[in-house]
Amino acid sequence: MELKEKLRILSDAAKYDVSCSSSGSSRKNTKGGIGNGVSSGICHSWADDGRCISLLKILYSNYCIYDCSYCINRASNDLPRASFTPEEVAELTINFYRRNYIEGLFLSSAVEKNPDYTMERLLKTVRLLREEYKFNGYIHLKAIPGADLKLIREAGRYADRMSVNIELPSRKSLKLLAPQKKMDSIINPMKEIGNNIMENKEDRKKYKNTFNFVPAGQSTQLIVGASPESDFQILKLSEKLYEKYFLKRVYYSAYIPVSKDNNLPRLDKPPLMREHRLYQADWLLRFYGFKAVELLDKKNPDLDTRLDPKANWALNNLKFFPVEVNKADYEMLLRVPGIGIKSARRIVKARRTGSLDYYDLQKFGTVLKRARYFITCNGKYYGGIPFREDIIKERLLKGTDIGIKQLSLFNDRVPVPSIVNLLPLSSGGINK
Amino acid sequence: MIYYLYDGTFPGLLTALYEAFYSSKAPDKILRKTDYKDNLFAEKVNIRTDQNKADKVYNAIKKKISSPSLKIVYYSFLSELKDVEILIYYYLKLGFKMGSKVENYIIDEKILKLVQVRDKVARERHRLLGLIRFRKLNKQLFYAPIEPDYNIVTLLAPHFSSRLPDQNWIIHDLKREIAVIYNQREWVLTGLSKREVMYDQEELFYQDLWREFFNSIVIKNRKNSSLQRQFMPKRYWKYLIEKK
Repeated sequence: MELKEKLRILSDAAKYDVSCSSSGSSRKNTKGGIGNGVSSGICHSWADDGRCISLLKILYSNYCIYDCSYCINRASNDLPRASFTPEEVAELTINFYRRNYIEGLFLSSAVEKNPDYTMERLLKTVRLLREEYKFNGYIHLKAIPGADLKLIREAGRYADRMSVNIELPSRKSLKLLAPQKKMDSIINPMKEIGNNIMENKEDRKKYKNTFNFVPAGQSTQLIVGASPESDFQILKLSEKLYEKYFLKRVYYSAYIPVSKDNNLPRLDKPPLMREHRLYQADWLLRFYGFKAVELLDKKNPDLDTRLDPKANWALNNLKFFPVEVNKADYEMLLRVPGIGIKSARRIVKARRTGSLDYYDLQKFGTVLKRARYFITCNGKYYGGIPFREDIIKERLLKGTDIGIKQLSLFNDRVPVPSIVNLLPLSSGGINK
Repeated sequence: MIYYLYDGTFPGLLTALYEAFYSSKAPDKILRKTDYKDNLFAEKVNIRTDQNKADKVYNAIKKKISSPSLKIVYYSFLSELKDVEILIYYYLKLGFKMGSKVENYIIDEKILKLVQVRDKVARERHRLLGLIRFRKLNKQLFYAPIEPDYNIVTLLAPHFSSRLPDQNWIIHDLKREIAVIYNQREWVLTGLSKREVMYDQEELFYQDLWREFFNSIVIKNRKNSSLQRQFMPKRYWKYLIEKK
């Protein structure tokens, strides 16, 4: 088979993996080598669906022994199949990289023959790239569930990021839709990678020449809307993954009907708005100091599709508002609807040079459309309406006629360098 | 009205700033010689670029204000926006009084303006780090044509010299007819006019593969052209292999 056809088949098969992030690693180039990592990540293009293209995202193979009903590559699907060789993947990566098409490689695979066989092929490929080609660009590698943990550990020495997809938010759904996969075979490699990252961090403090194990951390992905779990269940799961296994990112993927199966819901369109709200809530967990139980509970288990989760929280907690922009601490500013990390930082820095009034905020680009109802500037309230939940809510809803088109559905954008330059970021960073 | 006219180079601007601080005739405007149009009320002061004076200002900004301020000055100089020089002068006057605090003094509209100009230039630099496309020419040379809004080739060169150190490459700003050229050891900035280029024979093969990838990675149920254009404005498409 020609390389071009393989590339078509195996990138087509890989595109439902959401992650394309190339951030979090600042791997240095080596002598005689090619490539390096940029910790903010770099997007190289944007596909017609608006998603960023940063990495050469391909499957090593789409021959699969499993028959998971939500997956396009399921064994019973009749579609063209192909496998790369390690050399082909390496040549493609290097030649794309030299032309600056990509930031690196995202290599995943269907389970060909068995998990160990597949993981060995992936390992062989990344080793070839790192050792023979001296490639130091970004590599995101999938860990194959069920593969020997030794192979996964070995692969972690070469990858910048690793991920194991959790696929579905509960054991029950996984059993129903992917009966050949076991939740444990997903969780175990995740634990293994998490533990190794932590150990490696300690080692690197003690010994200077220790290699770097998965420096950009691990991520995972789950499908939203193929199974009955609520947003509350999903967010609690994500929160646990962040806390227990130190994940960098959980990606959410609105279910797109790719095969017909009686266990799957029939949808006309992928639930994009739900996915978007989950990303917003996820952002609140990671960068805004929120807990899942603050956003949702058993009585209200799903995010409001009409209002963003922060605005919702604020309306339910009006007792904390309005906050005085000249006094409120950074954490509280972050909780004001419409004020993001960039604005909060800017406010904190600017007010050191003098007190800020409403027009100052306006001038330096704080989006006040929503924030105005929740703040005071030097004691003055600029909302222009009575400070009451129902009235503010009505205003906010009126202002949210944004069509789905304007939403960034994949929050894979890298922060503009200006943010990075304005303030030294803590090790957490913004898009890692 | 006192007009300082400089040669358009960064050392030239720094020299003008030096004169502005030390002469009794402070400028009302600082202009590139090429941008000056005869003006009845203008009293012209021609600035002769002096590397010594330029170095003094450069070091003074770094030591007495801060490195980020030096970056604000250099980046906004590269924006080539009208009247940006006099804003820089204002910024430094304040900076030498306030020290590094001036970076955050954005309740002053002129300071805010300059910080925003810095952001614009930085944003385009970051964008082009991704959007540049090298084409392999005969003789093992990689060539990338661009037409950026701002004069950023010198901001791109360090990134690629550490990333692709074993390639010879040229990043060519066709709008300004300048280029950075790298020879596997160091990069230099030079004037370079438009010219025809000849591709290496394997070049079209990889361009074809890249387009194949670009088209097959799209999820058709999620097509969203306006989001695509928001991230990747059309003015950059001209030199993108995948968009031709």
